Amino acid sequence: MVRITFIEANGTTHVVDARLGSSVMLAATENRVPGIVAECGGNCACGTCCVYVEQRWREKAGEPSDMEGATMEIRDDPTPGRRLSCQMDVTKDLDGLIVRIPDSQF
Amino acid sequence: MQTIAELDPPDLPVETPEFAENPHRFFRDARKKHPWLARSSIGLLIHEYTAIRELLGQDEKFLPAYEGIVEVMGAHGTPWGRFTEEQLISLPTEKHRLLRNTFAAKFTPRYANQLRPMMRARIGLLLDEWAPKGKIDFEEFASYFPISNMFTLVGAPVEDVPAVQESLETLGLALAMDKTKLPQINAAFLRVEDLVRRLISQRRSDPERGKRDDLLDLLVTIADKGEVAERQLIDLIIFFFIAGYDTSKNVLTYTMWALLDRPEVYQRCAVDYQYCGRVVEEALRYFNPGSVPRITAQDIVYRDVLLPQGTMVWFNVNIAGRDPDVFDDPDTFDPDRRVTPNQRHVAFSLGKHMCLGQHIARAQLQEGLHQISQRMRNPHLAGKFGWRPYPGTWGLKGLPIEFTPAAAAETVEA
Repeated sequence: MVRITFIEANGTTHVVDARLGSSVMLAATENRVPGIVAECGGNCACGTCCVYVEQRWREKAGEPSDMEGATMEIRDDPTPGRRLSCQMDVTKDLDGLIVRIPDSQF
Repeated sequence: MQTIAELDPPDLPVETPEFAENPHRFFRDARKKHPWLARSSIGLLIHEYTAIRELLGQDEKFLPAYEGIVEVMGAHGTPWGRFTEEQLISLPTEKHRLLRNTFAAKFTPRYANQLRPMMRARIGLLLDEWAPKGKIDFEEFASYFPISNMFTLVGAPVEDVPAVQESLETLGLALAMDKTKLPQINAAFLRVEDLVRRLISQRRSDPERGKRDDLLDLLVTIADKGEVAERQLIDLIIFFFIAGYDTSKNVLTYTMWALLDRPEVYQRCAVDYQYCGRVVEEALRYFNPGSVPRITAQDIVYRDVLLPQGTMVWFNVNIAGRDPDVFDDPDTFDPDRRVTPNQRHVAFSLGKHMCLGQHIARAQLQEGLHQISQRMRNPHLAGKFGWRPYPGTWGLKGLPIEFTPAAAAETVEA
C-alpha cells in the first residue's frame, strides 16, 4: 500500500492507503474523498479529476503527457503542479504523496 | 431483495406524443410510486439523478445495448442494423479502448478550442444568411451549424452537408425505435455511406493527403496501415456525422426556446462571452436529448432491487437534471445556480463511453449562442412547434421565431 494525502480546498485532509498499480484518482474515489469527480472513470477524457501536486513531489509525480495537457485545457488554470489524477499511477515512489484538490473541477 | 415483478414499478408511455411533449410530469408522478425505477415498452428506466450517478459509470456491469435495439427494430442483416451493432460504442472493451485512444486527441478541450475560430466563422456565415430574414424556423437554422463543424473536423467539405442532411435527420430518429421507419432508415444510411466512401476515395487520391492533420487524414492513415479495417473506417466517419448532427442542434434549439422567456439571460449572452459558457452548462442540466441504453452484464442488486443479467435499461440522463431531490427549483433556468460535484449535469453520460464530442459540443454551443444573441434580437415565438420522440434523440420539432435582425456587437473575447 502507498500512503497518499489529499487536501481539500477548505483545508480538510484525507490520508488514504492506495493500491499499487491503481491510480491516484481511484485512490480518492474508492475512499470517498470529495472533490474528485472523475466523470469519465479514468480515461483522460473529461478533465474532472484535477489535483495540484505539492512542490516537493512534482519531480517524482512527473509531467503531464500531451494528451493529459490537452484535456486539462478544459479550464484555464495556471496553478503549478496541476495534473489529472487518473493519469498518475500509484507506484512505490509516490508513498507519502501530497496533492491538493481544487475548489471546483468545472 | 425485491425482483422487478414484485416491485411492480410504474409503467411510462415513452413512445407516445404526450410523453415527448412533457416527460417531466410523467416522471414526477412515477417518483411518487418509486423513487428511481420505472418501466416502459422499451425497457426499464433509471431516472433518478443519484441512481444514474451511482450506476452509469460502472462500465463492467452495464454494457452498451445497441444490439438489443437492432433486435427490437427487426433490423438484423440490414445496413443500418449491421452498423448499429458494430459501431464504436458496441465494440469489445479492448478494441474500443484502442480505437478511441487513436483519435481521442482530436476531441480534447485543446483541440475544441483550436476549432473555435472555425466555429465562429461558420456561425457568422450562417447568420449572414438567416438573421436578415427576421422570421425563421430556428431549428432548421440550427441544423446547419453543428454538422458543418463536424464536417470540418473530419475534413469533409461543408458544401456536402445539404446532400446528406435529410438522411442524418432520418438516422437521428432511428433510436426512437419505430419499426415502420426501417426502410427509410436503411436508405438514409446508404446515402450517408455513399458520401463517406466518396470522401475517403477523394482523400486517398489527394496530393495533400497526410498534410492536412484532420481526422480524415488520421483515420485513412491508420486504415492504410491495416490498424483499422476499411469497413470500420467508413463506419467511424458515419458515426461522427450521426453523433454530431442532432445532439447539439437539439440542445441549441431547446436553449433558444427556454431563453424566449428569459430575455435578461439572452441579452447578456450577446455581450458576455464567458457567461455563455455558464448558460450552456445550465442548458445541459435543463435539457439534453439522450437516454443511454445499456444491458446488464451480470445480476445487479441496487438498493435491494435485483436487475437480472441481460436486462435492458435506459438511463434517462435527459431529465436527470430536473430531479427535485438534487436541484433546488429544478424547472427554473438559472445559469448562476451554484453547482457542487454532486449536482453536475450528466448530459454527456459517464464512464468510458462518455460522449467523445463533449468538448466540441460545449465550444460550438458557446460560440453559437454568443453570436446568435447578437444577431437575432428580442426573439419571440411566432407559431406552433412539435416534439421529437422521447426515446432516441429527443427535442423540439421546429421552433418558429420572430426577432429583430442586428449586426454583430463588438465584444471582448477571453
